[in-house]
Amino acid sequence: MSELRNSIESAESHRRRWPWIAGAATLAVLLAAGIGFAVTRGGSGAEAADNGEPVRGGTLQFALIDYQRSPDPHWGTNYAESLIGNNVTDKLTWQDPDTGEITPWLAESWQYNTDLTEFTFHLRKDVTFSDGTPFNAAAVKANFDQYVRGDQKLGINPNGAVLLPGYIETTTPDEYTAVVRFAKPLASFLQASSFTANAQPGFLSPATLKLSDKERTDPTKVIGTGPFVYESWEEQVKTVLVKRKGYNWAPPSLQHQGEAYLDRVVLNTIPEASVRTGSLASGTIDATLDVGTTDEKPLADQGFKIISRSVSGTAIYFNFNSQLFPTDDIAVRKAIQLGWDRSAIEKTVLTDSYSIATSVLNKSVQGYVDYSGSVLKHDPEQAKSLLDNAGWKPGADGIRVKDGKRLQVKLLGISNLVVNKPAYESVQQDLQKIGVDLQLTVVPIPDYAAQVAKAKTDWNVTAANRSRNDPAALNLVYNPKLGNSSFLTQGASTGIDVTEVTAALDNLETTLDATKRAAYAKTAQDLLVEKYALVNPIYNPSQVIAHADYVHGIVFDAQSRNHFVNAWKSNGK
Amino acid sequence: MLRYVALKVGRALFVVWAAFTVTFVLLFVLPANPVDLLFDPAEINAIPDEVKAQVAANYGFNKPVVLQYLDRFGHAVIGDFGNSVQSGKPVTRAILDVLPSTLVLASGALVLAVLIAFGIALVATATRRPWLRNLVEALPSGAVSVPVFLSGILVLQIFSFRLGWFPSFGDDGVRSLILPLITLAVPVAGPIAQLLVRSFGTELHSGYVTTSWAKGATRGSILVRDVFRNASLPALTIAGVTFGNLIAGSVITETVFARQGIGRMTQTAINTLDVPLVAGIVVLVAASFALINLVVDLICPVLDPRLRATLTTGGTA
Repeated sequence: MSELRNSIESAESHRRRWPWIAGAATLAVLLAAGIGFAVTRGGSGAEAADNGEPVRGGTLQFALIDYQRSPDPHWGTNYAESLIGNNVTDKLTWQDPDTGEITPWLAESWQYNTDLTEFTFHLRKDVTFSDGTPFNAAAVKANFDQYVRGDQKLGINPNGAVLLPGYIETTTPDEYTAVVRFAKPLASFLQASSFTANAQPGFLSPATLKLSDKERTDPTKVIGTGPFVYESWEEQVKTVLVKRKGYNWAPPSLQHQGEAYLDRVVLNTIPEASVRTGSLASGTIDATLDVGTTDEKPLADQGFKIISRSVSGTAIYFNFNSQLFPTDDIAVRKAIQLGWDRSAIEKTVLTDSYSIATSVLNKSVQGYVDYSGSVLKHDPEQAKSLLDNAGWKPGADGIRVKDGKRLQVKLLGISNLVVNKPAYESVQQDLQKIGVDLQLTVVPIPDYAAQVAKAKTDWNVTAANRSRNDPAALNLVYNPKLGNSSFLTQGASTGIDVTEVTAALDNLETTLDATKRAAYAKTAQDLLVEKYALVNPIYNPSQVIAHADYVHGIVFDAQSRNHFVNAWKSNGK
Repeated sequence: MLRYVALKVGRALFVVWAAFTVTFVLLFVLPANPVDLLFDPAEINAIPDEVKAQVAANYGFNKPVVLQYLDRFGHAVIGDFGNSVQSGKPVTRAILDVLPSTLVLASGALVLAVLIAFGIALVATATRRPWLRNLVEALPSGAVSVPVFLSGILVLQIFSFRLGWFPSFGDDGVRSLILPLITLAVPVAGPIAQLLVRSFGTELHSGYVTTSWAKGATRGSILVRDVFRNASLPALTIAGVTFGNLIAGSVITETVFARQGIGRMTQTAINTLDVPLVAGIVVLVAASFALINLVVDLICPVLDPRLRATLTTGGTA
């Protein structure tokens, strides 16, 4: 049969020209694409005069990795959510990102009682929500009540319960005075009143507070007093903010008069790093957050400006489990602090936007003390002798052994920051050389969250950081009554006076006197970093933005979140 | 015939129910607690227990698992999957909000994929130059092998960043649809093309084609009139697989091109253990799968007389 077919087929006349036509067409398309590819677009030279005088108008196209899951700024666990919240709502106070000082914003002045359980705020009288409602003491009360307690009927979570522990009530002696009361001293409340990171206390209109979580997914109903108002929100895609007409209450220390310069800000969610940088390079967007360490230099070489701010609060730290073998041995903890080369990470992993940690606190936090000269330095010889003296003898595979047990340290970390894993791996390699086997498990947030629950019995080290520009962040992380990240228990934590640590951390909440507070912060750091070596700080993470040279005035606040009230484009487009 | 239909419908319903149940079990077997994920990960230890309890109660996570299952299942039957833990939006609305963009992307990609597949099959069968046939026949496996992730970034680099012909991200009309369409269509076209090349080849060697040759028909007219119709039917049978490819591909395509859609929503819903949302998406996907297979099962006998014959004899026997 097939022979028959073949003979018939070969007898067929030649009329098969269409494959050639198709082929030629394909070739033509490929050629066209190739030529187009070769002719790369010339640089856009047209640039408005830039004499440093802010230009009004224009739309800022901004890109970031996360997206806002709900327009409600009271809750949020990612950077997009807190950043957008900061531009549609205002806070009682503004923390100066350079000095850490708490300065006026919606509150013109304040007092507190000596116990630090009662804070009285005197509010500005000219502030209104974008729905026209005046901002007053009643609005402060309604916000704080719901922020801390939640509202089960409306499906609103107690988002502020962690930030404002022991909140009793807000009273309103007169229309523009609000008194916030706490059950126990809470010095950090003053900083909390300026808090701009996740789940922030931004003020929402009383009308918005009456809405359920469902209704708050309509962005036009989420009303704040901020320099921008929501125009639209497309989940996963973008949030568009427009200038609030008549805004005139930017934080005085920003020295910004009147409305925002920009007409609109479009916050585009672009999950892919190469698409963010490519879109910036091709001029589709004006600025992008979440610039990877490897993208900084190429972008700078192309003439883009790189701006950054170290994330205030704690450094990325290794918190040691003080109860679990072998990190229950202080010699092991101290050896790990000394056992890794800071400069290697600085050279191979970090850029100039980042820095090596020199304390558990970031440099920008008040009360920070530098330990790079004492315990937070690379000294492998001292590390080895510490381990030798504690009875850890080198084993067959180079890893030390004591009582037949290997010196292996299990670390649990989060992979959300790209720098984390390579930095930890660098530490791991160095520790190998002094005979410590650091085993890394660096996973996405859900897996981390699941494992943290078992950290007390399963993990020697948990690696994370906490973003809050106040020394009380230490209290939150390490106090045995709160986060207890080193699992301190009197007796079970060998060689550690837990009451001493607890008292030192408690003290942080008892004074707002700068000198006293700095002294308390030093005591706390001394205990955590030096005396008991409960933490091995690694590096200070950073928020990095790359923007075109015609963009100006993007502000990084004390928590390294961005505010656009001051931002402008020289071309005004 | 009625028994056949009832059997197929019953099977489809079972698949949807099983998908719902398995997802529910899986999400509860996972060690992470969805409530924890509503807070800053560095804060988890510091959250007072009563706050956790209050949040859990807000979503009904405090009830016994069996009760939660029955409650969710009961509501799911009438199309109510509850509210998304992460955004507070009702799940049905959250899905309906993004479904259109995925539908446009997926159906466009499907049409394009089918065109590509038929193009490949026709060229491979029509050409009499072995090198061209070999080249074209290698295309489907090539198309399947290139990760969507890579091809997406590649077309972006060329057509968006270099040439500036198309926007690189977002969801603004037809122009922003073209690159994602191509990216998604290529891997979807692969399996269809592979199947078509094979069935075109088989059909071309069957008896009725030889008869047509003998009657003096040209190669072109044989391909179009005889082979095309008969060889196309098998492609329908992999409609389910194609749908799966579309969904899998859309997760990555939507992420690379920063588009909203079911794919990206699935990814974030799983990452954040958004139990109600995941359940809603899984049921949607399972129902679509079941529906597609059901339609194929019911349509094939209509299109193919041979199947109809077996069915009738089978039914009466």
